Amino acid sequence: MPRVTVTVRDSASRTASATVAYTVLPPVLGGYYLSGGADPTADMAGGNFRSLTQYRSFADAYIFPGYQRPWLVTLGRAGVRLNMVLELKHYGAPDTGPQTFSVDGVTYTVPAPAMTIQQRPGTVWPKAYGYGQVLAGQCDGLFARALSQYRTMGFGVNIQLASELDTDHEFGTTEAGKAYTWAESDARAVQAVTYIVNWFRAKGLPQDSTFSVGLGGFDRDCFRRTHPEALMTRLNYLQWNVYATSPSHTALERFRRTKDWAVADLGPVALSRPVLIAEWGVRVIEIPDQAAWIATVPPAIARLNAERGPLIARTNYFNSGWGTLSPKATGLAALRAAYARPPYG
Amino acid sequence: MAAPTANASLNSTTYSPGEQMLLTVNYGDADNQRLTVTVTVTDAQGNRSAPVSVTAVIDPLTITVADDSGRTWSRVSDSGAVAVFRAVA
Repeated sequence: MPRVTVTVRDSASRTASATVAYTVLPPVLGGYYLSGGADPTADMAGGNFRSLTQYRSFADAYIFPGYQRPWLVTLGRAGVRLNMVLELKHYGAPDTGPQTFSVDGVTYTVPAPAMTIQQRPGTVWPKAYGYGQVLAGQCDGLFARALSQYRTMGFGVNIQLASELDTDHEFGTTEAGKAYTWAESDARAVQAVTYIVNWFRAKGLPQDSTFSVGLGGFDRDCFRRTHPEALMTRLNYLQWNVYATSPSHTALERFRRTKDWAVADLGPVALSRPVLIAEWGVRVIEIPDQAAWIATVPPAIARLNAERGPLIARTNYFNSGWGTLSPKATGLAALRAAYARPPYG
Repeated sequence: MAAPTANASLNSTTYSPGEQMLLTVNYGDADNQRLTVTVTVTDAQGNRSAPVSVTAVIDPLTITVADDSGRTWSRVSDSGAVAVFRAVA
């Protein structure tokens, strides 16, 4: 902690001193995601982009760096910190059956995903490997495959398990014909996430490997249920996503909503962890001047980080879906300007 | 002769990188006085010169600021009792 000392001296060299200590926070890492997991290198070039989110399904054979994504290795080696969202969710490839594959000479057979999530009425419910399947060890081959590929990357990443557990569980889940409520699904996910993190941590991991669990952060009870202290001892970050979807939304209130719940509801281990905002975005339909809203983010983050509670460490703009920058050039320019300012600069 | 007194405070305890930091120093010394001597010369005929003034400080005070992180603090203002310094986090 730096200290500044003031000395007042009179003509006879008598002195009086006073010392004050202060803290300068590390810079917040400004980050990005480009729609479709596409190569963001051109968008990030020349800007202070130091963090990136990516999404992969454990069901896919190419997780690290991903299918035809050599640029991810290039960015990682250049110092961009990667947040790899690894999901039990199956992304809907035609083959949702069992898989048999070899990893480093060991053959694994993984059964078909047995759970449905995101059971919004009137939609097709996505499949996912079930929390029961994970706990039964049936998905170990998926983890072994991911780990083997991860080790070839040459640097550590943050592994965020699930994108948004609240979105996944909001309408309950079903595994092997048995229905689970939202709260039951949260409890089962905590067990499964604990299993997965323990599985990885028991293996040799690249230096600077970290873990977190994914939440949209829109439901206070779900956020509390998915962050028990026993799990948080195994995780390195808190995480939630931030979207502005109403003309009345301010950056300060949107970034602070889940933080306030966390400060009120979570234990000391959870609150000692920095926050990784895996996605943030401004929806252009309600907020046509995306650039103006983006410009208010740096002071909002600085203010939140000056208050008590966990520090926001990374914020990755989600240039897709709700966050799509339109027009892109204007939005990107605003993002570059924001990331050039404190607390990012 | 009295010893000086000093008190220092920052406008925050935690700063983001690049943020302005303000340091306020309240200081004094019981002996410290600022006085003005005014001289007027009068001749035998009673003609007076214009008055000439000089100021003097008794037991002047100097303030130094040292930062163990190497930050440079520059003086923004100094009233003789309250001095404000500025640095960048």
